[in-house]
Amino acid sequence: MKRALSEYVTAPPARRPLKIFSTDPMLGRTAGNRITIDVANEGLNKGPAGRRVVVIDYDGGHSRFYPPVDLNDPAILMQGGLDPTESDPRFHQQMVYAVAMRTLENFDRALGRVIDFRKKEYQQLRLMPHAFYGANAFYDRDLHAILFGYFRADRNDPGQNLPGQNVFTCLSHDIIAHEMTHAVVDRLKRYFMEPTNEDVLAFHEGFSDIVALFQHFSFQEILRQQIQKSRSDLRSNTLLVELARQFGYATGAGKALRSALDKPEAKLYKTAYEPHERGSILVAAVFDAYFATYQRRIRDLIRIATGGTGELPKGDLHPDLVNRIAAEASATAQQILTMCMRAFDYLPPVDITFGDYLRALVTADYELVPNDEYGERGAMIEAFRLRGIYPENVASLAEESLLWENADPGISGIPLAGQDMLQELFFAAADFGNVSTPWVNWGQQSSATSRPTSSFPEADADMEITSTMAQILHGYAQQNRQYFHLSDDPGIKIEVHGFHPVFRVAPNGQLLIELVVQFAQTNRSFTTELGGLPLRGGTTLIASADGQIRYIISKPLPSANLSPAKKREAEARLDRQRTYLRLTDMADPKLSYYSPQDLLNRMRFRMNLASLHQGIS
Amino acid sequence: MGADSILVRMYDVGFGDCFFVKINVAGATCKMLFDCGSIKAGPRPIGEVVKDVIEAAKDTDLTSRIDVIVATHRHRDHVSGFASPLWNAVEVKEVWMPWTENPDDSAARKIRDSQSKLAAALASNIQRKTALWAASNPTQENPGLTAVANLAANAVSNEAAMQALHEGFAGNPVRRFFPTGNRKDDIFEAPVSKAVLVHVFGPSRDEKVIRDMDPPAGQSYLQLYDGNDPASGGTEPFREDWWMDADPPEVSYLLSSSDRARVNSIGADLDFNLAAALDKAVNGTSLMLMLRIGGQWLLFPGDAQWGTWQAALENPQWKQLLMKTTFYKIGHHGSHNATPVDFVEHTLGNDFLAMASTSHVDQWPSIPKEELLLALGKKTEKIARSDKQMEAPAPTFRVAKDQYIEAEIPLVP
Repeated sequence: MKRALSEYVTAPPARRPLKIFSTDPMLGRTAGNRITIDVANEGLNKGPAGRRVVVIDYDGGHSRFYPPVDLNDPAILMQGGLDPTESDPRFHQQMVYAVAMRTLENFDRALGRVIDFRKKEYQQLRLMPHAFYGANAFYDRDLHAILFGYFRADRNDPGQNLPGQNVFTCLSHDIIAHEMTHAVVDRLKRYFMEPTNEDVLAFHEGFSDIVALFQHFSFQEILRQQIQKSRSDLRSNTLLVELARQFGYATGAGKALRSALDKPEAKLYKTAYEPHERGSILVAAVFDAYFATYQRRIRDLIRIATGGTGELPKGDLHPDLVNRIAAEASATAQQILTMCMRAFDYLPPVDITFGDYLRALVTADYELVPNDEYGERGAMIEAFRLRGIYPENVASLAEESLLWENADPGISGIPLAGQDMLQELFFAAADFGNVSTPWVNWGQQSSATSRPTSSFPEADADMEITSTMAQILHGYAQQNRQYFHLSDDPGIKIEVHGFHPVFRVAPNGQLLIELVVQFAQTNRSFTTELGGLPLRGGTTLIASADGQIRYIISKPLPSANLSPAKKREAEARLDRQRTYLRLTDMADPKLSYYSPQDLLNRMRFRMNLASLHQGIS
Repeated sequence: MGADSILVRMYDVGFGDCFFVKINVAGATCKMLFDCGSIKAGPRPIGEVVKDVIEAAKDTDLTSRIDVIVATHRHRDHVSGFASPLWNAVEVKEVWMPWTENPDDSAARKIRDSQSKLAAALASNIQRKTALWAASNPTQENPGLTAVANLAANAVSNEAAMQALHEGFAGNPVRRFFPTGNRKDDIFEAPVSKAVLVHVFGPSRDEKVIRDMDPPAGQSYLQLYDGNDPASGGTEPFREDWWMDADPPEVSYLLSSSDRARVNSIGADLDFNLAAALDKAVNGTSLMLMLRIGGQWLLFPGDAQWGTWQAALENPQWKQLLMKTTFYKIGHHGSHNATPVDFVEHTLGNDFLAMASTSHVDQWPSIPKEELLLALGKKTEKIARSDKQMEAPAPTFRVAKDQYIEAEIPLVP
């Protein structure tokens, strides 16, 4: 074959550079505000329309479209993307695509697999940069879309905006990353939007803020600038730790939307119930852990720079020092963010609490990095403790005590023998490595069998397992109900919610392969009592590559076949859900005005992210 | 009227509150009026009820005198009656209102302004939508719109009534606003009689309660419709030459017509949400008072919401006082979240009277909440509701058909 026709010459580049506003358009041409990030290069149609995400610029307020951009246009490619501007809708489409993909890639890398958004009705997640007139942006599960609003800045108190200028939520990196995270979390754990306790919605909000905030630390120029300005004390500066400044100022609030800093108080966790307020506690805890680790990591740099005195010289810091500190800040941020995302696989499928999340964080990190070299895990535990977040049913906050319980080695492993399983693993591995190449059907077989048929009702049709696999797993769960704390009530089915291999690379270069299976069960007899939400239980299994179960993470339904301790746990969960319903009822201004039908489903209304983000509670 | 006693008379105003309280103690008589308003008339229009009240307040010299008029909050269904010019002849000693009504308090002014602006914006927006609907559906009513319209209308300031409360009545009454911010003033002796002790439980000056009084969502809403014609989608995000005349085939096929309809209708629920938030905000300003006379503890919470209740129940001393309640004016016409479960189940004893001034409104089937009335009924039989006069148990309650239900509570010396 001629060299000119070989892969060396014809293979497309791995990355695509695209320009975005890193903080807020209102900062204009301030250094570091207009930056170029890169995303994986995939086949793109006009829109831009990619494999996992597609931008549809439809304006619902005016019932019209704006021209979709072609990011493969040579003129645009030559510049590395359109220049940031508020007045050209095509740049808005570009930015929304770029930040959404960036966020998605962070998840891919952390989770060791490719997340996609295929559903029965939709192939991709839709992003609509100018969907409606309003000071809001939200992920909508039914539309399978993220909808961004636009509005006018407050005439009287616009902050740094022009009074009455157009403000686009789609031009805020923070808002795009936040909403994208909602979409990903919903994809990974679809029951996490059902508010069964006071932490559930708060977790969604807090976690989305964490992702948006930590992505700030990957913007090198801003980072260097801010380190210089704050003389390495990152807590004292605002650009890095504040969210959505333009949005906050534009709505007349006089400050950014939210911030990562707080005064840690155990009392707050007991009294703050509004999801954003409560979510902020989670954000602050994770940031606390980040700062502690960051400070530890730059200690030697400071020692070198100051000859041991620890007192930095007056005036500007040496640029080399700033660069090294920036590198540490950035690397630590990426590490903590990855740690936060990795924890997802170690969560139960339903009814999450902050305490569960802490245990998942600790366990997932322990698996990968048994010795906590930079004290990240320790810092995390301490930060949660300071804020009064204690997991239930643990003896102490020692790391060992926080790990999820190991499964009894006597339990039979996942039945892996058989062609299907190996094929599944192989394709998943190959897919993970090749996310950048254009979407390829791995043979007719893969695409034909990768959607479970609707004749197998137990399997969740949105998850990517073959129906054969789902059947095997279902049988396996039935057999081991006892050990997995699943109810044996014949009226309650076992739903297979997902099975995927996970590939992670430890710092020592070792490849770790794990299998994650999720089962869920639904008891509908409490639905009216619980305001329209059924009572759900479930179990996540973590197994090693040979199928041996290592961890069983369960949220049991009340049922006869449980041990007394687990029975108590199940009853406590139900009680907590009832209490939470009462609490939200007390605070709900609409309670007395619902129609009888709506009243029965009021908890479903409270799942609505649109009104949650509007601040209507 | 020889022996010491308290008369509590609940006038039937339909949907609203009007409670006349006459206290005979230690040789003196103290007359109080808690609210007078209605948004849906009962058997007699509010004008007639006003006449009745003024008549009942007449002394032997045929001059009508009321010692204290309490306006718990400015919702129409609690103040509309005060717009009547007949009040000019009534001699009043004191008018009590929540601190948010204080004309000299800048924080109060901010809240008042915010609430009235929001109420006005909502009302005008709903009016516009109703007109649009009527234009294309002349014979049909839109029940959703009507419901929101009623809810929003309650919050629109009734200027004539508010003016009367702030500046009207004969006898040059003193206007007092509670709580004053000075904790000591929250417990005081009523004018006329040292035997009547008043405890002020709300509205709280707690940050969270204040935030509920001026919801950020409201500010957002105001901004959205401030100077922008919402009919035309609010604002133009881009210059006209960017608008596409036809759908771009590359992406438009991905958006079905039902999807499109859903995107177009974002914000349709906004009015309802905001109206409810505003309702909660104004209710949150309710003056919540406990009167202690002898061994009787009378609780008048107005329409106080969860924020105020929570602050009261979390204060151990106040909770002790609430446990002594012997008369409870059921909050917010018997709605679910104006009487916390905690109060009914763990605070109220078993020896009390309760009265609910309420009436069925079609769009609000949950007011009054039957389960709440049942729960109260389990603790005591002595409950009366204005819309079911005949069921009020005698001899505790006396009924004047279509006019009022009253209870005379003896004061044991």
